[in-house]
Amino acid sequence: MSGNGTALLISRNFAVDKMASIDVAMKNGAYEQLKRALKMKPEEVTQVVKDSGLRGHGGAGFSTGTKWGFIPKDKFPRYVTVNGDESEPGTCKDRLILERDPHLLIEGALICAYAVQAERVYVYIRGEYFYPTKVTANAVKEAYAKGFAGQNILNSGWSCSIHMHNGAGAYICGEETGLLESMEGKKGWPRLKPPFYPAAIGLWGQPTIVNNVETLAFVPRVMEIGAEKFAGMGSPKNGGTALYSLSGHVNRPGVYELPMGTPLMDLIEKFGGGIRNGKNLKAVIPGGSSSHILTAEECKDLPLDFESVAARGSMLGSAAVMVIDETVSIPKLMHWMVRFYAHESCGQCTPCREGCDWLLRLSKKFVDGTARKRDIDDMWEIADNIDGKTICALGAAVAWPTKSYLVKFRHEFEAVCKN
Amino acid sequence: MPWLEIDGKPVEVPAGLNIIEAARLLNVEIPHYCYHAGLTVVGSCRMCQVEVEVGGRKSVAIACNTKAADGMKITTKSEVVHKLRRSILEFYLQHHPLDCPICDDAGECDLQNYYMEHGLHESRVALAEKKHKHKVMDVGPTVVLDSERCVLCSRCVRFCREIVGSDELGIFNHGRDNELLNVPGKQLDNDYAGNVVDLCPVGALTDKDFRFKRRVWYMKRTASVCTGCSRGCNVFVDWEVDRRYKDSVRRVQRLKPRYNRMVNEWWICDQGRYSYHSVDAPNRVSVPRVNVQGNGHVPTVDEVLTRAAARIEQTMEKHGADSIAVIGSAASSNEDLFLLNRLFVDKLKVQNVDVTFGFEKKGKEDEILKRADLAPNRRGALELKIAPSGDGQGGDDLISAAIEGEFEIVIVIRHDLSTLLSEKELAKLRKNTSYILYLASHENGLTEIADDVLPLAMWAEREATYTNFQGRVQKTNIPFTPRGLAVPEWELWQTLGAKLGMKASYESTRDVFNALGTSFDGFKDLTWDSLGAGGKMLGNAPEPAYRRVQTSRPLPAY
Repeated sequence: MSGNGTALLISRNFAVDKMASIDVAMKNGAYEQLKRALKMKPEEVTQVVKDSGLRGHGGAGFSTGTKWGFIPKDKFPRYVTVNGDESEPGTCKDRLILERDPHLLIEGALICAYAVQAERVYVYIRGEYFYPTKVTANAVKEAYAKGFAGQNILNSGWSCSIHMHNGAGAYICGEETGLLESMEGKKGWPRLKPPFYPAAIGLWGQPTIVNNVETLAFVPRVMEIGAEKFAGMGSPKNGGTALYSLSGHVNRPGVYELPMGTPLMDLIEKFGGGIRNGKNLKAVIPGGSSSHILTAEECKDLPLDFESVAARGSMLGSAAVMVIDETVSIPKLMHWMVRFYAHESCGQCTPCREGCDWLLRLSKKFVDGTARKRDIDDMWEIADNIDGKTICALGAAVAWPTKSYLVKFRHEFEAVCKN
Repeated sequence: MPWLEIDGKPVEVPAGLNIIEAARLLNVEIPHYCYHAGLTVVGSCRMCQVEVEVGGRKSVAIACNTKAADGMKITTKSEVVHKLRRSILEFYLQHHPLDCPICDDAGECDLQNYYMEHGLHESRVALAEKKHKHKVMDVGPTVVLDSERCVLCSRCVRFCREIVGSDELGIFNHGRDNELLNVPGKQLDNDYAGNVVDLCPVGALTDKDFRFKRRVWYMKRTASVCTGCSRGCNVFVDWEVDRRYKDSVRRVQRLKPRYNRMVNEWWICDQGRYSYHSVDAPNRVSVPRVNVQGNGHVPTVDEVLTRAAARIEQTMEKHGADSIAVIGSAASSNEDLFLLNRLFVDKLKVQNVDVTFGFEKKGKEDEILKRADLAPNRRGALELKIAPSGDGQGGDDLISAAIEGEFEIVIVIRHDLSTLLSEKELAKLRKNTSYILYLASHENGLTEIADDVLPLAMWAEREATYTNFQGRVQKTNIPFTPRGLAVPEWELWQTLGAKLGMKASYESTRDVFNALGTSFDGFKDLTWDSLGAGGKMLGNAPEPAYRRVQTSRPLPAY
């Protein structure tokens, strides 16, 4: 869990016993940054975050400070929504924050709420996270008791309440507008864009900041070490560290906090302890299951930051690195991946609803050994017909990996074809 | 107002218009399923994707949710767009049943139309792979759902939520198992349910009333106006008379709403929608009827009118004009009332004339379309000053006077007194009146006891104008000839008048209407042709303020 020898930001107190209790947390510095922020002007707080280069760790990598700046000037009330619907296959970092240092998240969310002058914070946690929900809910209660939430917080004259909300198990509710719909009590169907930013029209039509758990947990640390130092930690344009969820065929899978831009092979070899059972590396999925697959060749000299991974034709996404060794059949992997998305497609718009279903049937043929060669091209075409034609990014999330598997490992597909 | 270019043609459009509507101004139709101008935009069908170029940057966008902006360049016909539409159609059709030959929507189905225009692909899906869903499923008393045909556009769902506010349909389950179903515990049972069939771009929702009755391509379409209440919703009469083997009597096959922004927008109520049944009802009066013992000879209309003229003349001589009462109807058209007025009031000096009575049936009024006043032309009667004059009696006084036997002759138009009066009152009326002339469209208790009955052509069989409650004069058109010997009311008055010395020789309904303006200010400057498709306000008054046709408590789209 620890990045050897690197400065830890978020995970600093993960190992502290009973960190979830507010007394222990405060002994370890919790809510100090909130106190500081409340003495600043809201715009100054936003500016600090903007200067730090902190980017969203939910997947899109959008500049957090810029997002906060999108809030329209005269529209009240405003809300902050914590996106804890961590469901992307391979991603397991938010869970640790919710379980091991919930006060860090609450502090970050409150600082964000103060910066945008929101009156309510909603913490949306995926339905399956029973234990993290329990821990976080308890932490919220403690924060209220100490006066960090509620009316007139720390005599600043600013009030903000915190509400917990659980999802009901849909991946699509991690999409920010789907999440808002879900919170409004509706079916979690993502909203039509434009309007593009919930910052302008969000929850109940009001300005809303939707930030990932990890992103908000960084905010107190940014305040603590200062924007300049935070920006200096990662690679250019990628400030600070990231929680890398390392999974797959490595000796030591887990969540590692490392500076942005840590080389991929370092993560696998140095921290993950190399490939399990001495096998060879076949491929890596660098940013959750919806990112393009990278071949072993493409993994070389790849710093894990948003721009570098994008330059290799994939994306850092939620920094969920899945390591695949030579024993894995890519057609099977694709079927597993497509099955997930076909199950999670909300069915609102046609290309995704019909396309995922179709891809699933075709990918099954490769597993069953009944596929023909033309199915490879058909699959690519269907994926391409979904890509970019949908209301939300789920369409692309199934199309991108599918296309990359088919192109980069075409020989494996051809090998299992009948004719 | 933004200037933009659509397929190379420049056009200036009102601000805020989306690209589908902007393209319509140039007669360019962009295919779509989920978009409907009367409902919120959900952008889920993805069929309306077009290429949009802004500031030199070309991208693909859905036309329904893209507002026309200055300097935009839209391409609706290109290789890219064609491929997009083709791919979306292929998605839609992968599970779609191949039952067009037995589908009611065939011929007016957007899946068919777009497939012929953009698809024309061979299916890549094996028949065995096709997914099965609910087939013949009653979603309500009037509408049947075939889920396999459904394209999940959610128009019907939005209609129930936004226009009616009843929230009876929803899309349930998720992903590929999405299915249109009733909201648990609810049936599609509102006064506007039939509209979901019109909204359905495919054959998923069909009308029980129309199912398997006629292929749509055999039908002809005539623009008309519903006469079910004083709203005067604009409708199309869809009719077919050549294929008698299906149903020898049914000429009107269905009514469909006709868009009129100021009256009914895209909708009609179910009461109006199914009101056409009365046009071809088996109890239509199609020939005159004379209640005297005879040899079974069916008289012509003219024979009956001659009899009536003689009776009127005799009575006038003996008892004067005050012995005649005219129980008129506000369901008669402007032309009918005009000639009724000319004959009885102007020529014969009858004072006991009225069209408004307390016993008239009231309808259920709502804030969407339905009006309590079921007479389609009450406002017209007011404008034409159809009312008692001098010492004449009107309204309920006229009725009680008739029952008490104050009149020798009672002329009844349309009203079925046998249901509106008590048995006792009716018997008294019959006993006390020496001659009852009844102009009727349907057999009822009064046709049995009236002395003479003349058959009236109904609204769907004739051209006429009606003035709705707003004061809007709207016209109907002739699809086919009236049943049997039925005649428009004004023609009866003209012929009867000729026998009584009235000078009137109008050749057509148009002539009568065009003559209204010389006597009545409200109709001045209005001509048959100037009414156009959407009608004109009385006195050429400015249009009233626009009102969106919907409940005051709409629910938002999902």
